[in-house]
Amino acid sequence: MISDYLAFFKRGLLTGGMLLYTVSQTFALPANDLPEDSLVTSTRQQAIAFLDEIKGLGPSAAWPHIKPALFLQNLRTNVEQPASIYPGNGTNFCGYGALTYLFLLDDPLGYAKLLTQLYREGTASFGKTLFTPSAAIKKAAGTLRFKGVLDIRPAEQLWFLCLADHYKGYLNFLNRRYDPGDEDRFWASVNYAKFNRMLRKLLRYKVKARGADLVRPRVGDRYDHINERMKTGTVVLYINNRIIHKKNHVNIKLGFPTHFIVAEKISLENDLVTLVYWDYGSKTLLQLSPAFLKRVIYGITYCTKNEPGDD
Amino acid sequence: MIKTAISILSSCIILCMLSCSSRNITAKYYYEHEQTLNRIEESYQDLYRQQPFTVAFTAKDFKTISLEIITDTLSYIYEFPLHESRLTDTLVKYGLPAPGVIELIRQMQSIRCTWTNMLTYYVDEKKNSMVFMSVKSVKRVLPLSYKKYYVLAYFSQPQSFDGSGKLLDKKTTRRLRKINGQTFNRINDKVCYTISGHFR
Repeated sequence: MISDYLAFFKRGLLTGGMLLYTVSQTFALPANDLPEDSLVTSTRQQAIAFLDEIKGLGPSAAWPHIKPALFLQNLRTNVEQPASIYPGNGTNFCGYGALTYLFLLDDPLGYAKLLTQLYREGTASFGKTLFTPSAAIKKAAGTLRFKGVLDIRPAEQLWFLCLADHYKGYLNFLNRRYDPGDEDRFWASVNYAKFNRMLRKLLRYKVKARGADLVRPRVGDRYDHINERMKTGTVVLYINNRIIHKKNHVNIKLGFPTHFIVAEKISLENDLVTLVYWDYGSKTLLQLSPAFLKRVIYGITYCTKNEPGDD
Repeated sequence: MIKTAISILSSCIILCMLSCSSRNITAKYYYEHEQTLNRIEESYQDLYRQQPFTVAFTAKDFKTISLEIITDTLSYIYEFPLHESRLTDTLVKYGLPAPGVIELIRQMQSIRCTWTNMLTYYVDEKKNSMVFMSVKSVKRVLPLSYKKYYVLAYFSQPQSFDGSGKLLDKKTTRRLRKINGQTFNRINDKVCYTISGHFR
């Protein structure tokens, strides 16, 4: 399907002389377009079968503001359409969103079991990680509002709040305890090292990261580097989104990364890079010059599947 | 001498901060440009019903637009100079009435309206939509001033407000509704405004 989009864009009207444009897919990909290879830890069908077995899920004492039916429906939507994961308008949940998207692609059954256990018991373990969300988180999950479709996604609210509560980086140093509204503040921020640490702890991937929060990666040609790695693994990019999606008319844009995206496809033609990536509940096609690509990227995380016994 | 310099510097900083006050732009702006603003909102609603899209002026000179056309499966976002024929070609290709959209863009340009969009929000798990418009301040603002955009929210239903005119989440709660992280003030039952450093 993505190749159809690319072919469409190569057909003239949309490519002529344009310096930069983006194409967002606002609706989730149909299920048959999702990657489903033999290397995944579990399959979507296993996760759906697990969710089908849950009958009469009642209210949870641990999460007083989460409605069980909506929670279960939300889990099912995420398992069936991982691309629909939505970190919310104006929040700092984008890093957790990218992580969750990868989680759902690799191990939807693990995701469904972990979130169900968290909902039922208030705590849950996954691998060597034990999630023990704070009382403030439990009270807040299900009440986040004015965040777009995240308003009606209690499972995402619960999960993103748990991740932000559990994993800390230097950006969270001054705001370590959740207060209402902190999902938009430094409490929820994800620096590059923290993002890679979460990937290593939660997902069954080998993770190699190049780049840093304030220094661009020294990897030579960005296109070649990303393209090579996408042939053998999954690539997450840490980018400065403020120069892609302008929000004001200031001339000087601060040079630091703000956003995590999952690269889906990349190609180069006529000195124009076409990058298809996932972020914010949709897929985006972005065409940009190699120089602009170099300017926006601050981190390149390369994930390959763990071999049996690597755990 | 050093103390005097520090005092002068402090005063300058305070003056710069005061210049950020929302008093620079108030609801008066709406009444001064009510007809044009309402015309933009109405024509945007009409055109949006035919084919969902959004428009933003991305450059300071108001000569470059970002046009997003939303189809069932994809949203196409273009950025190109206003004078180029590709604008009309693109509108025609996606079945938008080109003269109507171009007239809308001209109206937006005339009052420095930077962004028009349809936003969704939820009340009691029910989806609602509103028209969101940002206008770049026509008043002179100092270089360090933050509040540069006058943002209007057009609702389709009358809204609830607290005693000081702040937009509430719903009738039965005192919780303030935030849109893109901003609280909004009443202009009339269906239109609210805020001042922001961002146009979206």
